[in-house]
Parts: sequence; structure tokens; C-alpha cells
Amino acid sequence: MQEKVEKFIVPIGPQHPALKEPGHFEFSVDGEEVTGATIRLGFVHRGIEKMTESRTWIQNLYMLERVCGICSHVHGIAYTLGVEKLAGVTVPPRAQAIRTIVLELERIQSHMLWLGVAAHEGGFDTLFMYSWRDRETVMDLFELISGNRVQHSVNLVGGVKYDITAEQKQKILDGVSYLEGRLQYYEKIITTDDTFLGRTRNVGKMTKEEATLLGAVGPTARASGVERDVRVESPYASYPDHPVNIVLDEGGDLTSRFIVRIRELFESIRVIREILTNLPESELTVRVPRRIPAGEVISRVEAPRGELFYYIKSAGGENPYRIKIRTPSLCNWGTVSSVAIGHKLADMPMLLVGIDPCFSCNDRLVTVRQETGSQTMYWEDLRKYGVEYYQ
Amino acid sequence: MSLTLPSLVSILVFPAGMFLILLGMVYEYVDRKLVARYQNRFGPRWFQPLADMFKLLAKEEIIPDGVNKALFIFLPILGVTAALTSALYTPMLGFAPAFSFRGDLILVVYMLSVLTICLGLAGANTVDRFSLVGATRTLTQLFSYEAPFMLTLLGPALAAGTLQISQINAYAQDTWWMILTQPIGFLVALIGLMGKLELPPFDAPEAETEIVSGALTEYSGRGLALFRIGKNVELVIGLTLISAFYLGGLANPLEFILKTLGLLLVIALLQSLFARLRIDQTVGLWWRIGAILALVQILILVVSRLFF
Repeated sequence: MQEKVEKFIVPIGPQHPALKEPGHFEFSVDGEEVTGATIRLGFVHRGIEKMTESRTWIQNLYMLERVCGICSHVHGIAYTLGVEKLAGVTVPPRAQAIRTIVLELERIQSHMLWLGVAAHEGGFDTLFMYSWRDRETVMDLFELISGNRVQHSVNLVGGVKYDITAEQKQKILDGVSYLEGRLQYYEKIITTDDTFLGRTRNVGKMTKEEATLLGAVGPTARASGVERDVRVESPYASYPDHPVNIVLDEGGDLTSRFIVRIRELFESIRVIREILTNLPESELTVRVPRRIPAGEVISRVEAPRGELFYYIKSAGGENPYRIKIRTPSLCNWGTVSSVAIGHKLADMPMLLVGIDPCFSCNDRLVTVRQETGSQTMYWEDLRKYGVEYYQ
Repeated sequence: MSLTLPSLVSILVFPAGMFLILLGMVYEYVDRKLVARYQNRFGPRWFQPLADMFKLLAKEEIIPDGVNKALFIFLPILGVTAALTSALYTPMLGFAPAFSFRGDLILVVYMLSVLTICLGLAGANTVDRFSLVGATRTLTQLFSYEAPFMLTLLGPALAAGTLQISQINAYAQDTWWMILTQPIGFLVALIGLMGKLELPPFDAPEAETEIVSGALTEYSGRGLALFRIGKNVELVIGLTLISAFYLGGLANPLEFILKTLGLLLVIALLQSLFARLRIDQTVGLWWRIGAILALVQILILVVSRLFF
């Protein structure tokens, strides 16, 4: 009999219990050991960037808040900060403060969601259930502030919609105090539980150099000791007045990513307290013209997953000329495929989730410009390509 | 307590057959509910396992391409049969076993392994990647927990001086609870049972976030229902054996219910306490710690027999 040597490939996705959103990963394995990994994205490409071009500046805010379901507010912030800069208006300080409070609450919400998902991937369902139960506290706070749990829609171009009353302020303070206690407990678990450490310690280890080389952002980079945090590098909203301390860990493995994300939340809670106790008095909105003056702007903010990048160009009309979004998940994918090799198949789900991927956010067309053979595609060609691709 | 039944009744109704299948569902419910409560969830309603079973039995059974059809259908039946057969030799509900002969302990241990082997073969029978990885893991795990688990059942047998389950049960009722005299054995046996049933944290063979459903990925409908019945039956028998051996024997139905449910309470707690072990960690745990502990227990027993 002729022996056929072929790679044994374990496909994960687009539909797989480990993935909450569609993505496709192929791991070639030798027994349990992974020898190669490829990633294919783009299953949930929605054409949002193109859609922004046919909507007004106001309408776009609502659409861009829907780029991500977990961090909707931060997309709104990146967009409004950019547009406000183009329009040359300054948002009143109270609005800035409220924006920042919601930003940090959102970080708490997002990281606790991630903690649960990551624990579930590691088969630690109890932690999953507990962290999601406690996350309800933040969701209730969102409901208190804006009336919505997920799509808070706090932003306006030129301010915020909702004020924080004295009564709400007390409730937020109580809520974050409760969460602080719970988070201290979770920090204890992830740093002391033996079975959990067995699954995370020295898994997906990435040195500072590798993280820099692969362009990691956010907590993934900070867990490898890379000092990269937009809130610190170029503070926006209320961060210039209430600076955050960067949270770093030198480990570079999954344990460090857990630690960094949880310690970051203590910092978030501190900032929330600081801003709430010094809440400035002012108007909530400022008038922004319907037509934004021509120009282009780059807006960077720190999303829960890392640096969120917006490029906004206006031609002076009611609609933007072009909006380009780059979400942090896209920057972090490279780290997964390169550190996966040599690990066990069982580590893959945790490794994937370790960067806190958000598939729908990052699915948009990316062309890597190569030295040769690069091509320019116009909208018509692109449409044709898309139609043919899916036939 | 003894109860003599016609052979056909004991095979089809009690202790094997319908009774055990229903009891298995009750225990599955208790287990799921307990784990859910430990995890701060509500958990299933009392008839959920029964409803699941009816649903699965009523559903179409899809036989995928690339499998040996006869084997695909036959393996679940063999697995359940083996599990049910072993029930005939155990003191179910505290009554004397329906059948008994010298050395039936070995038969029961063997019969309980048949289900796992069927599970592994069923996974290896398909061409599905997840099933194949799951099958490899199932069989790897079988080889790791089986030896320590058997050794821990041997401990009470050595103490009683017989390999007949009914006699060990009777011996256990007369002496100190063997959980006190052989604590290491009890611990290894309990954890061994969890490994055998692929309960968390030993659920690497069916880790849903990695390999969907492991060896059973391609099974649907009747085959899946049978394998699940087999697992439930194995849970009941495992609990029966451990409580008969280590918890002072099973003399009547009340004792049976109290002792097995007490064990289940502990097993459910252990299930919710830990993160899933990787298969290499599982093997390491069993051979580096489990097997050695079980051997130490046996050694202590043998030595104490020689000198006292």
C-alpha cells in the first residue's frame, strides 16, 4: 500500500462552539502539537466604511457605534473626536467627563466579558458564570445612565445626550466599589488557582521584541511589557486632567494577559471615582455645523482591545468623503498565528481568545501593498470581484 | 437485604434495564442541577434529561459518509449493553446483586471499560477530524485512569479477602467505613470515576471549545441517545461501587440513596472547581500521582495484612 503523507488539519470555524463570531482557522497538527496555523477572516464584512459615505455626519455616528457590539461607545468617541476637530469646536468639560466615565465603564464591561469567555475556553465554566453575573452590575449602570444596556449611544457630535445626576453618581460609585471587590477576588483566582495557571502560564509566550515586531496593541502588547496606551501617549477627552497609569506586565504569556486586563480595571475604577468626585459644571453640548469644513483628521483612542484608529476626510459636504477604521483586533492577529506553533491543540482556543478578538469589527478590506504586483481597484472592479468571489 | 427475581425481570426491569436507565436520568439531573447551583445558575428542570432522551430517540439518525455502517450502529448498543450488564453484579438500591460469582468485580470493571472503548472506536470509525482527535484523547485517558481506578477497587477487595462484590459489600457493612481506613484509595477512586465519565476537569476528550463534541461529534439521534444512556448508567454504577466499598456498604434503599447522592454532591463540587486539564496534564496527573498513590495504598494494605 502506498503511504500518503499528508498534514492532519483541524479546522476551527467559521462555525465552531469555540467561536462566538465567524472566523476560520486551520491548525495543522502532529498528534496534539500544532505545527502550523493559518487565519482567514472576512466572513462578516459589512461594508460599513462605504456606507458612511452616503450618510450625513449625524447618521454616521449611529452606524459607527454599531461597528462593535461590545465597545460601541469607543467607536462613537473616535468618530466624534475626529469630527469635532474637523469642525473646530470644543466640547464642554462636563460632556468630556461623562464621555470618559462611560468609556471606562465600557472597559470594565468588555474586560469582564472577556474574562468569562476566556475562562470558558479553558473549561472553567464557574469563573465564566461568576464574572458574567458580576458584569450585570455594569450593564445596569449603563441602563441607569442612558436607558440602554448595550448600545448606550451616549455621544452626540458636539457633546453627550445624558447628564449624570447626583443620585446616579452615588449609584455608579456603589457599583464600581462592589466590582472592585469582585475583581480583587478574580485576580486572586487567576494568579493562584493551580489548574487555571496550568492552562495559562507559559502559554503563548511573547517577548517584548516580538510584540513590538508583530505590532501588537492594547492589553496584548502591555502584557509583554510594551508601553503602548493611547490614553497615556496622547490623552483625549478627560484623560489630560485625570491621567491613567499604564499597567504593564513582563510575563508575555496568557497569565500576564489576564493580569494586565484585570489590573487595568482597578485603574479604570480609580479614574471613574476621580472624575465623578470632580465632575465639572457646564453645558452638555456645543453647536456643530451641519456641513463639516473640508479637511482630514486622524483620531486615535484606546479601545478595551487596544488602539482604535479612525481616519476621517471631509470634502466640506453633509457627508464624509471617506472614513477608514482600523480596529485593534486586526493588529493582534499576527501574534496568534506566530505564537501558536509548538503549542498543544488544547491551547488554541485560549490563545485565540487571549487577544480578545472581535471579528465583526475588523472585517474590512485590507490590501497589503507589495513591492511588485500591486494593483489598484476601483469600486466597479471591487464589486465585480466580490460578486464573482461568492458565486 | 436480598431480593430474588426471575432472571428476565432482573435483566429487563430491575436492577438492569428500564429501572437503571431511569435512575441514570435522575442522577444526570441531580448532577446537572448541582453543578448549575454551584455555578450560580438555575439549572435544568427535573424532566430535562428525559425530554432530551425522547427528543434524541425521535430524531433522524444521520450516518455520515466514510464510516463503517454496521460498526456505527452497533457500537452504541454494545456500549450500553456492557454498562447495563455490569449493573447485574452490583448491589443496586442496596439489594443483593441479581447475579454473583467469585471474581465478578473483575467482570464489572471490564464491562465498565467496554463503554469507553466503544466510545473511542466510534470516534475512530468516522473520518471527522474532531472525532478522531476526540477518540485519541478518549483512549489516552482510558489508559491513564484505568490502572489507578482498578487498584483503588482492589484495596477494599484485599481488605475483604474476596473479589466478589456482594461479599465485599457485606464485609464493608461489618467493619469501619473504608473511607477512614483507606482514605487515599477513596480519593483516587472518586477522581478516577470522574475521569471515567469524562466529567470536568477531565473533559478534554469532549472539550467543546476545541473539538466540538469529541468522539461523538458525528453521532445524532439514537446513537447519541444510547451513548448518553450508557454514560448515565456508568455514573450510577460507579457511585454504587464506590459507596458500597468505601462508605460502609449498601444495606437498604435509603442508605443507597443517601450515600450515592452524597458522593454526587462531592463530584459536582469538584466539577465546578477546576479549569479543564489538557490531555497531557491528565495523563501526567494519573501516572505521576494517581497510580503511585493507589499503589502506596495497596502496599500499606499488604504490609499491614502481613504484620497484623
